[in-house]
Amino acid sequence: MTQVMKGVRVLEVAQMTFVPAAGAILADWGADVIKIEHPVRGDTQRGFINMGGVKVNPRRSPFVEHPNRGKRSVGVDISTPEGMEVIYELAKTADVFLTNYLPRQRQKMKFDIEHIRAANPNIIYARGSAYGDKGPERDTGGFDGTAFWNRSGIATSMTPPELGGPISQGIPAFGDSIGGMNIAGGISAALFHRERTGEALELDVSLLSSAWWAAGTSIDMGIDCGQVSRNRMPTSGSNPGNPFMGNYTTSDGGTINLCTLTPGPHIRNVFEHLGLPELADDVRFSEAESLMKNWQAASDLIRDRFAQESFDYWREHLKTMSGQWAPVLDLLQIAEDEQALANDMLFEVEASDGGEPIKLVRGPIQFNHEPVNTTRAPEASEHTEIVLMEMGMEWDQIERLKELGAIA
Amino acid sequence: MKPGTKLKSAVCDTEVMVIRGSEGSVECGGAPMVEERDGSGGEPDAAFAEGTQMGKRYVDSDGTVELLCIKPGKGSLALNGVALGIKEAKSLPSSD
Repeated sequence: MTQVMKGVRVLEVAQMTFVPAAGAILADWGADVIKIEHPVRGDTQRGFINMGGVKVNPRRSPFVEHPNRGKRSVGVDISTPEGMEVIYELAKTADVFLTNYLPRQRQKMKFDIEHIRAANPNIIYARGSAYGDKGPERDTGGFDGTAFWNRSGIATSMTPPELGGPISQGIPAFGDSIGGMNIAGGISAALFHRERTGEALELDVSLLSSAWWAAGTSIDMGIDCGQVSRNRMPTSGSNPGNPFMGNYTTSDGGTINLCTLTPGPHIRNVFEHLGLPELADDVRFSEAESLMKNWQAASDLIRDRFAQESFDYWREHLKTMSGQWAPVLDLLQIAEDEQALANDMLFEVEASDGGEPIKLVRGPIQFNHEPVNTTRAPEASEHTEIVLMEMGMEWDQIERLKELGAIA
Repeated sequence: MKPGTKLKSAVCDTEVMVIRGSEGSVECGGAPMVEERDGSGGEPDAAFAEGTQMGKRYVDSDGTVELLCIKPGKGSLALNGVALGIKEAKSLPSSD
């Protein structure tokens, strides 16, 4: 892929997924991303032993690869003054400083914006937080499970009231990955602004702001009319008011989602594809207004028809239908999904355990139709000496810092 | 053996960078490592054939030597005939 960020250096003092994922996107795009890790413990992310109830192989951990591919890792103990001097030296060579440490930690260890800008006045300072860098909760940490999913109101809207309690996020690092892309977008805009005006900005993305943006239409509507949408219990049949909109169960228990929001232009085509051509001439369903008024009757007829054929039959048979629809798949099916592979949604990196290459999902943006070409996530502190020597540090100094425990 | 020196295995593809030096003999696959291969080749000794892993650091129990693997191979690393171990990040266990 065209390395749109080639020549940009990002200094990342961050852990877990949300903020490191921004660094991973920028690394996919060609930036030199230097990830600072604790010299002994590494990123806390490396300690995951379970993920969504599935045991993780620490040598092939998706929790490490997804948000860290393409980076170099430098082991620095940022709680030591000597370690922080190394951070300042690295900051002098960087275009972007990226962090998710809490305000009180940034102050205590002296890498808040004023400290980093003292080393490099032109650096873009990017913060990722749980709840934003202003207000009473700015010093409260969080994860996507807390800030993005539950605190935001998303869990409530996702959950049918009949269930009696909110469903969980279900997908590890779901809000983190969305939020990380938001940070990468913000950094790109800040780099563009600096290029044009010379002004270096600070920027903030929170897990909460990412959630509220994603739920923005529902929130805006709710504020205006006093009511937000909630999910309904799963059923085979349409949403109220539009029989071409809803989930239908097939004879073998699969699900086809119809999502033809504007049904009028598609009435004949859809009914023909469903094997119900006579309904297109039925006065109850032949015009958009009557179809939407008689949605319940149409939904029942469509439900019965879907139940007569298999999931594979419908998946093949509806390919030429003009109305919008989708087969309901699971995440693992991406690996064989013709459309996913045609769009280079997966790429491979070498595995550091010497085993089969690891397949990873690419970021959502593709330049010039070209696939991602990057390297695996670094081992903890793998590039410490190499990066410091590149920066011009003498070996004697590296040894001295190692003796002090300030670097790996 | 100066820190920063790159050493190659005489009997496999392994290459390392010396991070912490030592007076002793650094070996890979049972044979002393060299700065330049002479092309004589050979196979790793079966007792030192666990393989090396890219990006991993190898240390002895006293911490006198540290080698960073910059190219993996079939042989395993040793100092004076004693196998080196991997220096792992001691991460805190987490679960979602």
